[in-house]
Amino acid sequence: MRRSLVMALVALVLLAFGFIYFALDPSSSSLFPQCVFLSLSGYKCPGCGSQRAIHALLHGHVVEAFKFNALLLISIPWLAFCLFAETQRVRNPRLYVRLNPPLLMWLFLALVVIWWVLRNIFDW
Amino acid sequence: MQYWINHNGVQSGPVDLDGLKEMGLTSAAYVWHEGLADWVKITQLPELQGLYEFVGDPIAPQVSSAEPQPAAVGEPLQEADGTSGSETVAGDNPVAEPAPEPAVTGQPYQPYQPQPEQYGYGQQPQYQQPQYAQPQPDSAEPCPPTNLVWAIISTVLCCLPAGVVAIVYAVKVMNKYRDGDIDGAKRASETGAWWCIASIILGIIFQPIMSFLPLMMGSMN
Repeated sequence: MRRSLVMALVALVLLAFGFIYFALDPSSSSLFPQCVFLSLSGYKCPGCGSQRAIHALLHGHVVEAFKFNALLLISIPWLAFCLFAETQRVRNPRLYVRLNPPLLMWLFLALVVIWWVLRNIFDW
Repeated sequence: MQYWINHNGVQSGPVDLDGLKEMGLTSAAYVWHEGLADWVKITQLPELQGLYEFVGDPIAPQVSSAEPQPAAVGEPLQEADGTSGSETVAGDNPVAEPAPEPAVTGQPYQPYQPQPEQYGYGQQPQYQQPQYAQPQPDSAEPCPPTNLVWAIISTVLCCLPAGVVAIVYAVKVMNKYRDGDIDGAKRASETGAWWCIASIILGIIFQPIMSFLPLMMGSMN
């Protein structure tokens, strides 16, 4: 009961955010928050461009989204995989352990750092 | 389907799903049905979810129900380590006869496990307690959530430091659970969840305020 209420609330918030990011373009509208790290240091953070990437994705422009933030696009399949793993947690604990290898998490963290450095060198 | 129940050492059954609902079971109960190799914790059967109350203590001293239980075996639940369990058998249980064997046909399969520790008492060398359940530490307790979904979202959507810490805690959860340290895994899971919440607060509330602050200052001048 409480669980389904939380689920409904999360779905509602996601829908609302989805609508906002679909209807308004973050690259032209000043309604969207700017990255604090970028404005303070002048360097991009790993998440910079993700708002524009979401806007592009919601309009079906995958290549454009990739140019705005490649990390976001790369992590979407893994995110879906993790969501699936989460459904198996109570029912099948052993499978859950196998679907969540720590090595994959370390690799992702390494990828984030590499992406952070490279995008500032090559202005991605 | 027919279920057999072992709740706080009291065995009953067979009952169907409706009968199970009315028994006032807690998460400490063990269940068996046709097709299962051994007794399992009630929490492990997804189809029984919501039919029992969650209790923290696995052997909560709760009187389950007042309805007659014909096949009741009044033995305390045997612990896996054996020492505390054998004390209970010798001290608290005045019943000096062997536990009544399942006389009814169709009674669930009970693995017979000789327990050498009990012979030390010398009272009944031939006495063998049927072992009701042996929860394996790695399979009985589900792994606490890694919060990885939230950790990835908060890492990619710019609230960087907190998201990275949350991923590190997800690694910790997995490593501790694999080592059998379930309490440690639970603690790591909770800490990771707090980092996720912190990163969401940072991302949704703090970040917009920080980024709009210069704008507001500019419009004031």
